[in-house]
Amino acid sequence: MIPTLAGRIQTRLFLFLFIGIPITLLYGLYWTGWQWDWRTIQIFVWFLCTITGLGLLLDPVYIFLQTTRWDRDWPFAYQFFFSWVEFGIVFFVARAGLIPYLPEFAFQGGQGLWIATLHFTLVFVPSFLFLLGPLQAIFVRWRFKGGQFGKM
Amino acid sequence: MITFPVRFRVRQIGIDGNTVGSSRILLCEEPGAFLIGKSQEADVPLTGDAVSRRHLSLVLSAEDVRVQDEGSTNGTYVNGTRVDEQVLAVGDQISIPGWILELLAAAESPASATRIAGVEVDASLVSRLVITDDDAPPPTRRTFPDAEFEGKETVGIEALRASGHPIEEVKFCAVGGGLGSFVWVDHLRCYGVPASDIRAIGTEEVCYQTYKRYCKNSQIPDHERLRSNALSRPDNIWGFPGYAMREVGKGIGVKGIFQVFGEPTLSESYTPRAGDVFDSLDVEAKRIGWSDMLLKAQVLGLRKTSDGRYAVAYKLWGGEASGQARNRFLIADAVHLSTGYPATRFVDDFQTFITNHPDARAQVANAYEPHDQMYVEAERRGGPVQFVVRGRGIVASRIIQRLSEARAKNPEIRILHSMRSAIGPRDGAVFRKARRLVRNNVEIQPFNWPKSCWGGDLRVEYENASEEDRGIMLSQLGGTTTAERSDWIAIAERGAEEGWYRPIYGTISDLAPLPPQGEKQPAGVQVSIDTQEGNREELNADYLVDCTGLIADIRRSPFLADLLDTYHLSRNHAYRLSDGRATKGGPTGLRCTNDFEIEGLRNGNGRVYAAGTITTGGPYLAVDSFLGLQYSALRSVDHLVTERIHKVRNLGPLRSLGGWAKWMTGARP
Ligand SMILES: Cc1cc2nc3c(=O)[nH]c(=O)nc-3n(C[C@H](O)[C@H](O)[C@H](O)COP(=O)(O)OP(=O)(O)OC[C@H]3O[C@@H](n4cnc5c(N)ncnc54)[C@H](O)[C@@H]3O)c2cc1C
Repeated sequence: MIPTLAGRIQTRLFLFLFIGIPITLLYGLYWTGWQWDWRTIQIFVWFLCTITGLGLLLDPVYIFLQTTRWDRDWPFAYQFFFSWVEFGIVFFVARAGLIPYLPEFAFQGGQGLWIATLHFTLVFVPSFLFLLGPLQAIFVRWRFKGGQFGKM
Repeated sequence: MITFPVRFRVRQIGIDGNTVGSSRILLCEEPGAFLIGKSQEADVPLTGDAVSRRHLSLVLSAEDVRVQDEGSTNGTYVNGTRVDEQVLAVGDQISIPGWILELLAAAESPASATRIAGVEVDASLVSRLVITDDDAPPPTRRTFPDAEFEGKETVGIEALRASGHPIEEVKFCAVGGGLGSFVWVDHLRCYGVPASDIRAIGTEEVCYQTYKRYCKNSQIPDHERLRSNALSRPDNIWGFPGYAMREVGKGIGVKGIFQVFGEPTLSESYTPRAGDVFDSLDVEAKRIGWSDMLLKAQVLGLRKTSDGRYAVAYKLWGGEASGQARNRFLIADAVHLSTGYPATRFVDDFQTFITNHPDARAQVANAYEPHDQMYVEAERRGGPVQFVVRGRGIVASRIIQRLSEARAKNPEIRILHSMRSAIGPRDGAVFRKARRLVRNNVEIQPFNWPKSCWGGDLRVEYENASEEDRGIMLSQLGGTTTAERSDWIAIAERGAEEGWYRPIYGTISDLAPLPPQGEKQPAGVQVSIDTQEGNREELNADYLVDCTGLIADIRRSPFLADLLDTYHLSRNHAYRLSDGRATKGGPTGLRCTNDFEIEGLRNGNGRVYAAGTITTGGPYLAVDSFLGLQYSALRSVDHLVTERIHKVRNLGPLRSLGGWAKWMTGARP
């Protein structure tokens, strides 16, 4: 699939809703000892929302970069790399305490890094694998629509 | 006007591709129809297991010379394309298994009729047998389906029944039976249409037969890799899992997956092996019941019927039926046309050369026609052999690869690579902010179009553009390119270093035959090139392989020409941008809508769609590719769903997933 702007946004939101959020809730529950503690769990949810939000802001930039490539494509390797860049940016800005709704303490030290990295890995791996093909099995037209859903 | 005697050079070809014995000549002294085949009654009996008893006829009249297949099992080919009936031009080669017949120019005098290039040839195959009576119908007139179709835009079912030809009715009919037809039928089947509602009519038993023949001629054997994406698999409408994943257990193992991950920037693009594509198509053909839906026949015409359907007239090939019983009608609600490349046509100077010097035909070849013999001869012959390879596309790369392999047997093979001009590293095509990569004077691109033409922003932009803007985008994004393959780059670099590969820049201004000189020096061809510096370079070559491509002129298909004329169908046009202004060029493909429907053929609830190279210049750039065929199939089948008249059910997420699960488990759809 060679993404278009609308396709990037839709696919990003789709993966966020159907893979990111469920996994994040489970992950949050795991850290709260399978107790529903929204005050803790929301940190994970907002962290993921922030990464997705940053991604949406960056999507036009990626599209611009695509237009400078002859094939106007986006190698899977780039997709992989920039996903981690997005994670890295949000993590370090949160660690610096610059995101008001994300408590600074949650991102400190080795422990903070480990919890966030594991979180993102658990969300990223299935999302990326989905992008490599399985989405095509559910949405036959998706690959021709640059990642958009719906009819041709 | 045809001058008699009409002469054919006849050569027998062995299993290894070599000529067996010397050339013979077939003289046809008067107009008439000459039967060729294994049968005793044949005017020209030819031997061979794969030759049919009644294989083909040569039909000669004062106006033209034609070849007509007589329903042979293994087919009659003209310049590599399978034909039913075809008017021949001087230099055309008719091939049937084990034999090549080539139409020669008229002899200067009756006495020289049995000489080729001044050399006396064995004329034992002289035929002066069948001579038509004066009041017999002219042999060129076709009676079926002209009696029912000629001059009519709409035909009545009753009239067709009255004709006495067998009639069958189905809902869907795919004309061509090649890859485009297969992909369309595969979509219908996966959308839930039963096999009994579908008929595919084509000249080949296997859907990839024609494609495979082009591959073989242009030197892509089964173990070679195509130029195709991992996820464009014509046997799977979802494109997942891709060919790279299929190869994990064998071949290159997980390397393919890493190629797909990094391509095209961090790694060479992954491409599947030809043989793997064919195998996977065999499996899918079995799954969807392709052979039950296939009619092995030549489609001769199509007409609207008065009840809002279509009548497809066809002639069965081979099989039990013979004579008039082979001529039949199929009535269908929706028809799909994917007839691929019409008969091969060559670039002008090449065509002129073979017309004027048919005797030098064995020294020159278009890369898409069978020419293995050249390599075999060059390998066998000791001493220097010089090849001129013309063109800079992917086919030229493959031919050069084949020649470099031939050097293992004859290290004195030399390659002169003729290209119009040198292209510097910064001279690649430009489209807005992007520039195409150039390596070794050749423009590089993973596939035949920039990738985003298939499903990225260029697809959307192109589809929404005006006719003129589409034409301009097509000319800017198209052009001859090759794939970046380290082995090809290495061949060019090592060859240049060792002196057996040399690029030459300039336009070929003249081709002339070089007659043989004694035993040592066989015939050759002289290639004159006007170089960019304004010099003329004359190269004495043994062989010239022209890799400038196939010209897909849809009027060369009698079937399409008849449709164009009967319904005054519109065509797309080429455009060129010069000095900022667009100029309209010649006609290209059949005009169709964004759903690939040919609007001029709409008939009540009846719909006709098209796909493949015959839609060039239409709503999509990469029509002639596996993925492009899938795209057009998806569009047209979706259109049938939207129209709600043919009762095709939509393929939404759940049904899609279900269908895919069936594919994965090999269950029938
Ligand atoms: C050498 C070569 C390599 C290619 N490699 C690739 C590649 O790697 N990847 C890729 O995506 N694409 C590739 N393509 C492009 C494209 O995918 C193929 O050409 C493909 O076969 C096109 O399918 P088609 O249905 O249009 O034509 P075909 O597969 O050629 O099928 C058309 C069929 O229609 C039959 N026919 C024509 N007229 C009639 C009639 N009147 N009645 C009955 N039957 C008729 C013909 O005999 C033929 O069998 C390649 C093309 C060529 C020439």
